[in-house]
Amino acid sequence: MSVTTTRTDLLTIEGLGHVYEGKQRHEAIGRLDFAVPEGAFVSIVGPSGCGKTTMLRCLSGLMSPTRGTVLLGGAPVIGVPRDLALVFQDYSRSLFPWRTVAGNIAFVLPRKQLSAAERKERIDESLDAVGLSAAADKYPWQLSGGMQQRVAIARALAYRPTILLMDEPFASVDAQTRAELEDLMLAVRQRFGMTILFVTHDIDESVYLADRVLVLSKSPSTIVASLEVNLPSPRDQVGTRELDDFVQLRSKIARMIRDQSTRRPSAPAIGDSESPS
Amino acid sequence: MTATDTSWGGVAQRPRRDFRRLREFAARWGALFALGVVWEIAARIADSIYFPPISRIMHRFVELWLSGPPNTLFLTEGVATDIVPSLTRMLGGWSIAVVLGVLLGVAIGRSRTLGDFVEPIIHFVRAIPPPALIPIFFILLGIGNEMRVSLIAFAVIWPVLLNTIDGVRSVETLHLDTGRVFEFDRRKVFFGIVLPSAAPKIFAGMRVSLSVALIVMVISEMVGRPDGIGSVILGAQRTFRMLDMWSGILLLGILGYVLNALLALVESRVTKWHRGAREGVS
Ligand SMILES: Nc1ncnc2c1ncn2[C@@H]1O[C@H](COP(=O)(O)OP(=O)(O)OP(=O)(O)O)[C@@H](O)[C@H]1O
Ligand SMILES: [Mg+2]
Repeated sequence: MSVTTTRTDLLTIEGLGHVYEGKQRHEAIGRLDFAVPEGAFVSIVGPSGCGKTTMLRCLSGLMSPTRGTVLLGGAPVIGVPRDLALVFQDYSRSLFPWRTVAGNIAFVLPRKQLSAAERKERIDESLDAVGLSAAADKYPWQLSGGMQQRVAIARALAYRPTILLMDEPFASVDAQTRAELEDLMLAVRQRFGMTILFVTHDIDESVYLADRVLVLSKSPSTIVASLEVNLPSPRDQVGTRELDDFVQLRSKIARMIRDQSTRRPSAPAIGDSESPS
Repeated sequence: MTATDTSWGGVAQRPRRDFRRLREFAARWGALFALGVVWEIAARIADSIYFPPISRIMHRFVELWLSGPPNTLFLTEGVATDIVPSLTRMLGGWSIAVVLGVLLGVAIGRSRTLGDFVEPIIHFVRAIPPPALIPIFFILLGIGNEMRVSLIAFAVIWPVLLNTIDGVRSVETLHLDTGRVFEFDRRKVFFGIVLPSAAPKIFAGMRVSLSVALIVMVISEMVGRPDGIGSVILGAQRTFRMLDMWSGILLLGILGYVLNALLALVESRVTKWHRGAREGVS
């Protein structure tokens, strides 16, 4: 379960920084250095407005950062790589309202490489994975928020990326749905064997899901800590959250996030620190 | 008379909604019928040669255009000489305007620099009332059909063009980003994202254009070679054939209404998602 240093790194971020130019110049990301090993589930927590979305846009190649490099599988990211998919924070505006659920998924599948039968299979499989097989012919606006989010996830799954980036995907769903979606992500990871980078501002969620949690500071963001999560697998919504390890880790992260508003720690070295500074 | 709120082919039809549609239908036609009755009574009381009763206008209408032999579906020769040329040039000019308007609109909407460049020109040229340009179209294209079709196309391209530009500009950036994440090529971005996003606005422009096309068609037929509904109306007025004149006017009303309803039907089919997405479902 634990991430060992012998695993190869799929995504490597070196000296990443971003400044929004303009009338009000804003340094969103200070300096980020980290690596995501292949097959890992890494979650990133940070306060609202600390530059998490900005970071994901840089990692996915939607935007080029002001400083630093992003390597995916050893190659620099210029433009969006084929092997990468991103689930946006604002899922409702990223689904196409003029297409049905199945249509939204079909739309992202490359027409040339896949036969009609293969496309159908992919659609069915990914809808089944998120438990939405019955809603295939509905339109996104006929679904609840949680269902829409699941469609966005299914669409990304059908695309079969090697790495999946997710931007606060469960921020606007109720607690019950959220728990279901969290377990869905764990199941999906198992089923499709993807590397997942999961951004959230929910500390519990970050610990519950991940092998490793990166804690970001306020803007301009740096990495406050990179913590390994050694919780038994499979995780359980009730059981896991009761474990001493879980409680201690979440308190530690909560303290860090609270404390960095008063003092600014220097960025630790990549991936090997188990505690702040 | 718009048909925006009629629910042609809604998503989930329920009996309750059918009732509502029936009521709306009755209200709309009832009002029209009432107007006819008022007209009839007022005209009979006034007994003016200029305002004949509606019953006599309708009678003349049928005589002129709907009293043909059964093998032509009761349409008279007048339909071929008056209505068909008018309709062809109106729909011809409008279609040219729609195709050009959408193509240019997409090009202008997609490029900021091009937009900044041509938009002032568009707003200036559009502000000129098309009838004022008839003399110029006369000189350039003569008094025949080309002049009329071009004049109609020129007059009605603006709503389509401006709405397309607007529609293309207001494409959700997150939709475009989604396209980039999933590696859409240019064609897929255009036909899969830009065009569907802009479709509701394009259709709104097409509807405005359609009603303007009817107006400009009539105006264009009142000058030059006598031909079409416009010249029927003008000719009748000049020779004091008031019933013919009113029949022509009635015909214009019916044509405008039917064409608009047909377009609304197509629109609601194509952009069904738009109304649904805005209203939500319950
Ligand atoms: N296009 C932009 N131009 C200028 N500043 C921007 C732009 N986008 C974001 N910012 C600023 O950069 C900072 C980081 O924004 P970002 O959206 O990355 O934050 P976030 O961590 O994703 O926040 P949240 O948790 O609320 O989603 C914010 O202070 C924001 O105001
Ligand atoms: Mg964000």
